[in-house]
Amino acid sequence: MRFLFKTDYEDDIKLFPHSGYYVSYGILLAFLLIAPFVLSSYLVSQLVFVCIYATVGVGLMILTGFTGQASLGHAAFLAIGAYTAAYLQQYNVPFPVYFLAGGLLTGVVGALVGFPALRLTGIYLVIATISFAFIVEEVLARWESVTHGNEGMRVKTLSLFGQAVPQNGPTFYYLCLAVLVLTIVGTLNLLRSPTGRAFVAIRDSETAARSMGVNVSLYKVKSFAISAGITGLAGVLFAHKLSFISPEMFTLQLSIEFIIVILIGGTFSLHGAVLGAIFLVMIDPFLTYLKDDMPGIIAGLAATFGADSITANKIHANAAAIASANGLKGAIYGVIIVLFVLFEPLGLYGRWLKIKLFFQLFPLYKRATFKRQKIYVKSERNR
Amino acid sequence: MSKSLKVLGLAVSALALTQLPAAAQTKVTDQGISASEIVVGTHQDLSGPIKVWGVPVSNGLKMAAEEINAAGGIHGRKIKLILEDSGYDPKRAVLASQKMVERDKVFAMVGPMGSPTVLAAQDILFDAGVLQLFPLTAAEFTFKFDPAKPQERLKFNNLLPYVESTRAAVKYMLETKNFKKPCIMYQDDEYGKNVLDGFTQQVTAMKLQPASVTSYKRGASDFSAQVAKMKSDGCDVVVLGTVIRETIGAMGEAKKLGWDVTFLGATPTNVLEVPALGKEAVEGLYAASGFEIPYEDTAKGKVKDWLANYKKMFGSDANTQAIIGYNAMMTFAFYAEKAGKDLTGQKMMDSLESGEKFMDIFSSPPTKFSKTDHLANTITQVQQIKNGRWVLVKEGLMF
Repeated sequence: MRFLFKTDYEDDIKLFPHSGYYVSYGILLAFLLIAPFVLSSYLVSQLVFVCIYATVGVGLMILTGFTGQASLGHAAFLAIGAYTAAYLQQYNVPFPVYFLAGGLLTGVVGALVGFPALRLTGIYLVIATISFAFIVEEVLARWESVTHGNEGMRVKTLSLFGQAVPQNGPTFYYLCLAVLVLTIVGTLNLLRSPTGRAFVAIRDSETAARSMGVNVSLYKVKSFAISAGITGLAGVLFAHKLSFISPEMFTLQLSIEFIIVILIGGTFSLHGAVLGAIFLVMIDPFLTYLKDDMPGIIAGLAATFGADSITANKIHANAAAIASANGLKGAIYGVIIVLFVLFEPLGLYGRWLKIKLFFQLFPLYKRATFKRQKIYVKSERNR
Repeated sequence: MSKSLKVLGLAVSALALTQLPAAAQTKVTDQGISASEIVVGTHQDLSGPIKVWGVPVSNGLKMAAEEINAAGGIHGRKIKLILEDSGYDPKRAVLASQKMVERDKVFAMVGPMGSPTVLAAQDILFDAGVLQLFPLTAAEFTFKFDPAKPQERLKFNNLLPYVESTRAAVKYMLETKNFKKPCIMYQDDEYGKNVLDGFTQQVTAMKLQPASVTSYKRGASDFSAQVAKMKSDGCDVVVLGTVIRETIGAMGEAKKLGWDVTFLGATPTNVLEVPALGKEAVEGLYAASGFEIPYEDTAKGKVKDWLANYKKMFGSDANTQAIIGYNAMMTFAFYAEKAGKDLTGQKMMDSLESGEKFMDIFSSPPTKFSKTDHLANTITQVQQIKNGRWVLVKEGLMF
């Protein structure tokens, strides 16, 4: 077990509290950098989606995880970023410009949404953000001169400094990874600044925050703007990855997916956004993989335990039939989410912390270590 | 010295010459073809918003593959169909396509489902040189290609496009029944927009003014406002850019208001579910369509057997969607057979573009493609619901 001995006030806000961080994150980064050379482009493509979803997750984490404002409208922010890119691209605006423009415009829209949100809390805020998402979807379908309505827009291959960056190639992966890493580092810096601390104060108790002199309205609007801006940046990448966007892609379903990202990952740390994104993007290919290979494995096991070849074939056929039943994947997926919400409200990252602590303290681990202390947040007594 | 330079120059130019035609030519993959099988892939919506299409289409595909395999395959090669669920989510469609191209090594994508899903995954197929055959979307991008981009030649479609079929049907109705005040109610998405475009183009071409244009959001179930508006605008024919439930809802609403008006549906309304669920409310509905829907009691020969087989395999009655799926696979098999014993990607491409005609068992108009046209045909029929059944009114329509 490691004991951190703090000798300086600066120690409290270090991004890397001890040398172990350099090693583990260094290894992770090295792996991510060589990934396109060792993994198939199918897996790299999944990693690209993970990066995009994780970027949105970080954005949503700032708003929901750290400021305590729920949103089911982030698909709309993603759409605004994506459409800004597709629109500006028609006029040969270079990528860095429309990338930033996408983030900026979405940030401004996010701030505008933030204002009505000042008066709303809890479920009412969720309803307001849902209606905002519907309004955006409607505008995208109607404003045909800009968005081409329901026909959708093709997004041309990304071109960076005169070089084409195809959406299935390694360069695009590096780009998405860079955006994610910069977003995470930026957010970490934000969170240790006065602004970030004000966000957390608002989440924990608005009354307490106000009595400490935090301008609650200002910071809520800021949080909305930053969260939306980051989502807008991810939207630009999203548009390029799919090479086609239409209003029906940015539905409530997608907003729910984003909420799932942070719920599954764990709403109290940025790790959660990344882990949640990995889960959400990779669970489907993983289940597909199981569907393809499980019947063979099961039949092989049966054969090992003495089943003759006819029975083994029968088992193989039955397992294949069950595995390819329509909607089975959706059901498994749903069950996993329900189990998470019921038994692991801290998400994947919470589970990881518990496992880590269990081994660090072995055999002295106490289950009560992670028991939730802030009862007042739950009861919303001091709103 | 100068001699060796000359040789070098010649070598370089010769190399350049060999490279030139290769650059302009479409790269078609040979993967997935072995001595015993041909691997083809498809992604369908089996769990999302349009699974009423995805499930029967995949049944049709499976059934065709089994029939072909039972008859000995294509020049002895069995078809191995890889089916993935996209849930109508473009992200999942992209990943599923990539998986099929890389892991399963599919030779062609046959009958993939939906516009955003097909479009988002398209580049993956083209980069790998995998043919994109007969997707279940009638949008233009599935057959129109830019000759300057050789990989775009890999797309072919045999589905009747909404714009053309609507135009042909509207033209027929306006000319034969002498309607003067055409109206339209359409679903507010890409499909509805296509129907609206077809309607507007034809009405303008005939120098008429649309009397009323209304729309509804996908998933809507109340059409009283739209129908009341069209009634007060004095429409004499209403074109429906609707699917199943909305068709029944709109016509039921008109009946409730006691409004006697002619309805003409776009091709998606021409399915068995409309008369089966709508009963007397949809009596008299006209619809644009590509082929006649077979009924078990009147079907003859091959079609009768086909209907019985389908019911035996899947435990439900066959519908239009199943026929489309079945035909997609059969069309693939037909051209693969024509490509010859030593099938390659290039030979398949030549076979598809040869202009050879494929005739299905449902007496649809013939399917054929050429080097410049990758859309099978735009010949439209008009059918009408009489006594709860679809009856052919007029075939061979163009605009």
